[in-house]
Amino acid sequence: MSKIALCYSYNTNKTSLAAKKIAEEFGKGNVELVNAESITPGQFLSFQNYILGVPTWFDGELPNYWDEFIPALEDLDLKGKKVALFGNGDQKGYPENFVDGIGIMADILEKCGAQIVGYTSADGYTFDSSKALSGNMFKGLALDFENQGKQVSQKIKDWVKQLKTEFKTKAGRPKSRKKQ
Amino acid sequence: MEVPVRYSIKKTEKKTLAHWFYLMVLGRALDDRAPNYLKQAIGWSYHAPYAGHDGIQLAIGQIFDRSTDHLFPYYRDMLTCISAGLTAEEIILNGISKDTDVAGGGRHMSNHFAKPAWHIHNVSSCTGNHTLHATGLARGLKKYGKSGVAISSQGESSVSEGYVYEAINGATNEQLPVIFVFQDNGYGISVPKADQTANRKVADNFSGLKNLRIIHCNGKDVFDSMNAMTEAKDWVIKSQRPAIVQANCVRIHSHSNSDRHELYRDDYELNYVTEYDPLGKFRRLLIRYKRFTESELVKIEEKVRQEVKEAHKKAMAAPDPSPESVFEFIIPEPYQSKKYPEGLHSFEGPKKKLIEGLNETLKAEFRLNPDTYIWGQDIAHKEKGGIFNVTKNMQKEFGMERVFNAPIAEDFIVGTANGMSRLNKKIRLVIEGAEFADYFWPATEQFVEATHEFWRTKGQFSPNITIRLASGGYIGGGLYHSQTIEGVLTTFPGVRIVYPSFADDAAGLLRTSIRSEGLTMFLEPKFLYNAPVAATPIPEDFEVPFGKARIRRPGKDLSVITYGNTTHMCLEAAETIARETGADVEVIDLRSLSPLDKNTIMNSVKKTGKAMVVHEDKVFGGFGGELAAVIAGEVFEYLDGPVKRIGSTNTPVGFNRILEKAILPNTDKILKAMKDLLDY
Repeated sequence: MSKIALCYSYNTNKTSLAAKKIAEEFGKGNVELVNAESITPGQFLSFQNYILGVPTWFDGELPNYWDEFIPALEDLDLKGKKVALFGNGDQKGYPENFVDGIGIMADILEKCGAQIVGYTSADGYTFDSSKALSGNMFKGLALDFENQGKQVSQKIKDWVKQLKTEFKTKAGRPKSRKKQ
Repeated sequence: MEVPVRYSIKKTEKKTLAHWFYLMVLGRALDDRAPNYLKQAIGWSYHAPYAGHDGIQLAIGQIFDRSTDHLFPYYRDMLTCISAGLTAEEIILNGISKDTDVAGGGRHMSNHFAKPAWHIHNVSSCTGNHTLHATGLARGLKKYGKSGVAISSQGESSVSEGYVYEAINGATNEQLPVIFVFQDNGYGISVPKADQTANRKVADNFSGLKNLRIIHCNGKDVFDSMNAMTEAKDWVIKSQRPAIVQANCVRIHSHSNSDRHELYRDDYELNYVTEYDPLGKFRRLLIRYKRFTESELVKIEEKVRQEVKEAHKKAMAAPDPSPESVFEFIIPEPYQSKKYPEGLHSFEGPKKKLIEGLNETLKAEFRLNPDTYIWGQDIAHKEKGGIFNVTKNMQKEFGMERVFNAPIAEDFIVGTANGMSRLNKKIRLVIEGAEFADYFWPATEQFVEATHEFWRTKGQFSPNITIRLASGGYIGGGLYHSQTIEGVLTTFPGVRIVYPSFADDAAGLLRTSIRSEGLTMFLEPKFLYNAPVAATPIPEDFEVPFGKARIRRPGKDLSVITYGNTTHMCLEAAETIARETGADVEVIDLRSLSPLDKNTIMNSVKKTGKAMVVHEDKVFGGFGGELAAVIAGEVFEYLDGPVKRIGSTNTPVGFNRILEKAILPNTDKILKAMKDLLDY
């Protein structure tokens, strides 16, 4: 497994916390931390596998640091690359747009040719709608520090275990997309 | 339905990007500078900062074409107006309320930017009520086959107002070219949007309405906003149907300078919203994608600094409004009758009923002026023409484009008339404000608004509307069907209030109302529609000027001032007294309450030395109080007794006929009062 880019904003609190837990679970030397605030297309393309921290801002928007990178990202050829997404949302406060950021980013990456891995089940969450949903699966790991804070560590553990397998498998539709 | 991407950081022309950056920097320079004027006690005491709404406001202004479109900005729309073409100087003139403020010469609250000459309308502080004006204006655009759109802009919390639903419902039902923009910053002053409605995106509350497209965009992002507004305008013009654009914004500062947001927003939130400063984001994008160099942007910023400095100097030197000017532009000059300057005639044709006088005058004016329209509840369907058939056969003759029904929404009826009359000065609108006068209260907000318009815009816009209301009692109608409301209406400047008693005066006043610029409340005593006592010969071209009372019975012993239903009771009582005692009572039918014919009243009281005021409305707080005060104030020395007032009891009007009789004035009560005063 080639080195994974763990890309998130260093200015964040909860996203940073989750990213550090993910890095821990992968073990030293397996992931390289990249600051999303200052990422460049060249830097982005130097990896094969990615984990992106994409929280949802306001009523279903990308954070500005990702939003400002999108015009560059849209021009990249990401064929053969695998991307896993995690993001924070608030299913009670923002039930109409729960982890929309994951879905918005996944759509953009897929248009660029990337394969999204790390789908997780939407069971156990209560919300109205989400752009991150594909059937009953989120296109990434949905974390809700506000309402399910105690579950965050376990969810990350399980997700990293899943990713270790999925990053190793050949590009193609991941098995985890089916309902777990 | 996807929104096409027409604008992006990489594709948009550099010249366009430069212009946008200039506008955004200019806007923010003024937005940031505004509080200084208050600190220095110069003005701008109301300032609602727009920072955080930059993307959507730039976009609204950019898609607005003043040669075809009409814009209704709200009080936070500074950048919208700058983007639509207002200069820095014009913004400051409004902020510090100078006489040369193009919105209205400092008459309206600061931060209410407008330029009526460019179709950037001067709107109310009553937030969101201009949605009805936008809908009404779009109705005009459609009826006259114009190519533009009406654009209404407001905060998301004002969508809670019932009239916003009325406006959007009406626009979808009539399929009108109007865009409603909701600038959603999450707060109505300090009230979070969760306390306004269940949906976080209030536009989704309207998703069940037919013929409506809803577009969501990031109001903090220039490109997303430009794409959304461009698509909305294209779609609205092509489909001739309305759209809502909900723009997600942030409010970086407090609601206004009288609000302290740190009392209800924590540091985390304030940092969070500041981090997404739309201007900062746009600037970063321009540099990141190498569209501009730092020095190019600095040059634009420097140009803005100079421009604002010069605008400030000019605005500070501009004249203030003069105290004497307060009486200018209260209401436009009315139509002047050449043939009937006193509103009197000696025509001796067959008698016509009051309802015939109204119906025939309406038809005659509609034949004369193709820019006349009438709508209201029950106004036209098959053989029916209004709840009392005043508009009978009008739809048959003038068609559904000019004579049509309105939904049961009084505010909508009045507000859309205000909007439609903005299209051009030729248009004359007659509306039935409500089925019965007592149902007019839901429209009061739009009535008040309409009374302000001419004065507030310093004569730039006048709603040319006649509001007809079937008024009064004596029909056993009880609450909401038998009351009369002129006591409240006459307290407002900026409106004419007329209340005829006879068929000829009704016809003549209606003709003058329809031909005049300005707002006229036309109160019709419905009890008299078919009453033989109110029937008169009516010259077919009869005109009654406003503010001309009519002496219906000359006399020398007592002046009775009255109008509407009670005129006939006073006349009957006067005849009885003459027969019984020989006393000679003069009965003055006011016809117009506002303007008031003081001369006729004063001359009469000087002659008789005794005055009695009679009306159907309550004595307490009724218009008679004003009449009595005017008489006491101006001809006290001529009075040989107190000014007596007769009207209804200070109660609602009861439904049971026994109650109604006990409450409303009648000939017996008036007769007794006349005798008492004559004997005084």
